[in-house]
Amino acid sequence: MAGPKARRTDRPSRTAVALAFGIAIAAAVALVAVAVLSRNDSSSSPPTANPVVDLAGIPQAGRVLGSPAAKLTLIEYADPQCPACRLYSEEFFPTLVREYVRPGRVRTEFRGFPFLGDDSVKAYRFLLAAAEQDRLWNLAEALYRNQGAENSGWVTDDLIRGLAAEIPGLDVDKLFTDAERADIRQQAESAGAAASAAGIGGTPSFLVVVGNEQPYAVQFGSVDQMRAALDDALSG
Amino acid sequence: MSDRTLRATAGIVALAGIGVAAYLTWVHYDEGALVCVAGGGCETVQQSSYAEIAGLPVALLGLVSYTIVLGLIVWDTPYARLGAAALAFVGLAFSVYLLVLQLFVIDAVCVWCLANDVLIAPALAVLTALRLRT
Repeated sequence: MAGPKARRTDRPSRTAVALAFGIAIAAAVALVAVAVLSRNDSSSSPPTANPVVDLAGIPQAGRVLGSPAAKLTLIEYADPQCPACRLYSEEFFPTLVREYVRPGRVRTEFRGFPFLGDDSVKAYRFLLAAAEQDRLWNLAEALYRNQGAENSGWVTDDLIRGLAAEIPGLDVDKLFTDAERADIRQQAESAGAAASAAGIGGTPSFLVVVGNEQPYAVQFGSVDQMRAALDDALSG
Repeated sequence: MSDRTLRATAGIVALAGIGVAAYLTWVHYDEGALVCVAGGGCETVQQSSYAEIAGLPVALLGLVSYTIVLGLIVWDTPYARLGAAALAFVGLAFSVYLLVLQLFVIDAVCVWCLANDVLIAPALAVLTALRLRT
């Protein structure tokens, strides 16, 4: 290691220092530019009308999807703005429906925990309104597919109208009327407090209920992990 | 403050940066952490479209940068000092960008990101810059 005297004499010239910090400034600007330009902005994706899963023919009653006779109920606490909830919807929900819900083994219940912001509460109001027509799960899936940047105002009336129009059996005008109802507004706005009171700390959070047994929590980490948790509960 | 103290402090701060960046890289890749947390935000920030640059996690870039800065602090030649200061300055500038994103764009604050952006990156930039004067 060089001694203090050696360091002093070997100290970089003012030109070298200026050059180094000039390069540093250019590198910082380039880094930010690359970050902005390479950003994968899901909010810029146009709304699509191709569901990741076919829910036709599966019974829906309010917030519940699946047969009332199913042995297991999977309760999902979700925020329509949460990226992790979108991942669950895209990665595991199709498997859940195909392998568990459609065969009548599992039913799944949506409970809103709209804590991320105003777009969360607005989206949940429309989900509750869709539940009035037993179409909550169709609209939830469509919203996740078109999820925008958090609190960017992406939950627009136009987006919802476009998505709702593609859902068979959903009366769009009634959907918008119901979403403005005082009881639905109150339910959406108090859902966060209700979820917190139930001990829910984040989304998506899952509770498994088998028959009349006590609910217990499971965590979504991967398709295989979730499948194993359900298989374990069903075989017990 | 002596140069020896400055060097030791800069090394400790760089180590803290490595620790935070390593944790955030782990959160980015860990499947078991797929959750948005009320009052948290790390997962929200990490799963936002701003968490990667050209496919590379921002946290991983931070981990590599802090490791290089620490290596330069240990090497400690005059040009290594200059390199450490310049790289720490890049880190500081990018941290300001990330802080603005969290506060005004993503609207979710990750406490570990905040610790990096408000404490570690500025401290490392100041300490490495001060060493250029000794």
